[in-house]
Amino acid sequence: HALMIVFLISTLVLYIIVAMVSTKLTNKYILDSQEIEIIWTVLPAIILILIALPSLRILYLMDEINNPLLTIKAVGHQWYWSYEYTDYEDLGFDAYMIPTQNLVPGQFRLLEADHRMVIPVESPIRVLVSADDVLHSWAVPALGIKMDAVPGRLNQTAFIASRPGVFY
Amino acid sequence: MLHLIAARMGSLMARRAAVALTTSSARMASHGREVSETVDMSRPMYWDRLDTPLPDKAYKDELTAADKSLKQKEKGPWSQLTNEEKIALYRLMFNQTYPEMKQPRSEWKTIVGGIFIFMGFTGLVVWWQSLYVYPPRPRTFDDEWQAKQLQRILDMRMNPIEGFSSKWDYEKGQWK
Repeated sequence: HALMIVFLISTLVLYIIVAMVSTKLTNKYILDSQEIEIIWTVLPAIILILIALPSLRILYLMDEINNPLLTIKAVGHQWYWSYEYTDYEDLGFDAYMIPTQNLVPGQFRLLEADHRMVIPVESPIRVLVSADDVLHSWAVPALGIKMDAVPGRLNQTAFIASRPGVFY
Repeated sequence: MLHLIAARMGSLMARRAAVALTTSSARMASHGREVSETVDMSRPMYWDRLDTPLPDKAYKDELTAADKSLKQKEKGPWSQLTNEEKIALYRLMFNQTYPEMKQPRSEWKTIVGGIFIFMGFTGLVVWWQSLYVYPPRPRTFDDEWQAKQLQRILDMRMNPIEGFSSKWDYEKGQWK
């Protein structure tokens, strides 16, 4: 569907360009059109405001309390992640990426890690992301999360995994 | 805007208003300094353009004696001018006629040709790069590795609701 719309729009634009370039008309310079300029400046501004206000509301709604059952700290280093589960006991481990030459056939290049971060299913989880040396970013696209890891700063993100599996 | 004011106030007032409405010269003169007036010294130009007809001056400036006598004849009734004289008068005023201006030119062929030459050169560069610059492909791109990856994705039931694994029929063992 998206490709159809792309073709539609590009055909329309190409047609308009060709029509503008190859016109036989000679009066091409119309100056001074205050009324329509005002209309097509103010109307999009109003539309954008109508879009922006609910969007900001949703943005702040997303930060509301979700009572996480588990808190995990993900700290970024050059070049591995270290995870700390400190709610009940002190548990911490490093997770390195498996280099391409050590992969078993069938594993995903640049995605596999030697120790995975394990989380309980169907539970709200809070992840506190930070970094040890330089800026990193902690992301799991399959869960729709990304949070920048800034040294000296704790960033929080929360999510619920609705089904069991391995998420990359 | 300026010519509206001129029309209202008459020519003398208009000149003063025009001077007063110019920016730096008005402000500088009020401080008692000598200032040069900004004068428009542009001369009328001739052009052949479809979209701005009737240029500021005639095409031929230096009129020969024959031209001048023709111009004198033009001041009389035009029905007495022959066709050649009318054409000569037109050529005095203008360089090209409208059909001559609208004649197709072949500069687009040069331009399009140049574009294709550069695109072809880019293709050559890309091909040379793929031969000498790129590192060897990782072994994960081999067909059997890709097949094993695909099987692993389906075994893990990744995106089973709307995404990848939802397109695989697990009972029949084939794509839907």
